[in-house]
Amino acid sequence: MSDRLQRAILTLNRLEQPGGGTDGTDIIAAPDSRCLLVLTLIYLVLMLSVPLADIERVLLFSVYPIVESALVGIKYTRLLKRSLWVLPLVALVGVFNPILDTRTVFTVYGFTVTAGWVSLISLIVRGLLAMQAVLILIYVIGFYEVAVAIRRLGCPAVMSTQILLVYRYLSVLLQQVLTMRRAVDARGYGRRHMSLKLWGIFIGQLLIRSLERAENVSRAMHARGFTDRLPLSRYRCWTTTDSVLLGSWTVVFIVIYLVPLGTYLSKVL
Amino acid sequence: MSHHFIRFRDVHYTYPGGYEALRGVSFLITHGEKVALLGLNGAGKSTLLLHTDGILMATSGEVNIGDVPVTRKTLPVVRSHVGLLFQNPDDQLFMPTVEDDVAFGPRNMNLPEEEVERRVSTALEAVGATALRRRRPFNLSGGQKRMVAIAGVLAMEPMILVMDEPTSNLDPGARRRVIELVRGFDHTCLIATHDLDMAAELCPRSMVMAEGRIIADGPTDEILSDIETLTAAGLWPR
Repeated sequence: MSDRLQRAILTLNRLEQPGGGTDGTDIIAAPDSRCLLVLTLIYLVLMLSVPLADIERVLLFSVYPIVESALVGIKYTRLLKRSLWVLPLVALVGVFNPILDTRTVFTVYGFTVTAGWVSLISLIVRGLLAMQAVLILIYVIGFYEVAVAIRRLGCPAVMSTQILLVYRYLSVLLQQVLTMRRAVDARGYGRRHMSLKLWGIFIGQLLIRSLERAENVSRAMHARGFTDRLPLSRYRCWTTTDSVLLGSWTVVFIVIYLVPLGTYLSKVL
Repeated sequence: MSHHFIRFRDVHYTYPGGYEALRGVSFLITHGEKVALLGLNGAGKSTLLLHTDGILMATSGEVNIGDVPVTRKTLPVVRSHVGLLFQNPDDQLFMPTVEDDVAFGPRNMNLPEEEVERRVSTALEAVGATALRRRRPFNLSGGQKRMVAIAGVLAMEPMILVMDEPTSNLDPGARRRVIELVRGFDHTCLIATHDLDMAAELCPRSMVMAEGRIIADGPTDEILSDIETLTAAGLWPR
């Protein structure tokens, strides 16, 4: 468990800086943080607005994570693997669809595919694609820059600060869990599982220590003049490349959303 | 602010749980003095230091930084003049890169970006951490983290430097670098420490705390040779 926690902390820390999620691979073309944030939002809104039954159109939206990951130098297989984190959650949302919706949609080699199964698969694909788009955003510009982009887009400062602090305290909490788990393991004589009573004590102590640690972090921030508003760091200016990137992808998304490309493709093939 | 002095007048502080950490602390540290604050763990040293920056507000009594009384209204002025270094650098370093972390204070002071850049470069150079500029603070060694934390405080160009155990958990080389750095700081300095050798080397004056009170205040060489006081403060075996 300690190793997994250590890995989780390292991953979180890596995500805090631009290009940090690419496991050493340099970001080839990092756009302005606002550009990528807006692009991700447009993608999510259009992709998630496609009707559940229209699975062909949802699959066409996979063009964005595949092409954009190649453009910025992230291996798609890695992106796909990481996006699987969200699988249990989306599968849970649609797990009863095959039972509740038994209308036949089509038959393949004698197997009847119902509307429930189509909507379940559609939900899973959407979940994975949405996660992949968010991962590209965080991998390319880093979590801190996402918060800065929110602020630069005119959202209230308190919103971006809250987002950053929640993320920051998550790292504090994980570090505390790791320290306490190591202390338990050090005197556990090889015992791998904790009793229910020990879990209760562990969680109680974790809460108290995390609050104490969070208070120390907060004190250190205020000692350096923090006034509940995240200061804006140096940032890139919006360039023509950003406009071209945002414009061209938006056109692609709208075409996929409005034009029944799946029907045309099936006719051609 | 005409003079960079620290004045405590009969300061009491009680934590919300009812524990009285400061019990009538009074002293004056004048401009340019380097003072060591000695005492056991739990003597009230850290609580006292947090009052210099307005992180904690006195339950009763008065704290002045120069001519300015420490109140909620004067916090921006007080914090721009007092640089507080925390005991655990991990509490202080939270930005994605070293340079962003060092720039955190100056940016909060709304300085122009060119001035922020100048201060970051100067502070990192002063602590010998220029090469760490693009590194992530989480991956640094203990000594490097301490140096970057000090750079974060120096970048605010404080007139008063307040440090909580600056040499704890450091290897001899890193400890020596911190000592030389503080020696080069020619403004007012208040250092809480268990490192009696460092106190003797850096600070002409020392104050000894025990159970929330200052039980001795005077020249460091006299304090460190006063076995009775050191024993009373728990700094010398009975």
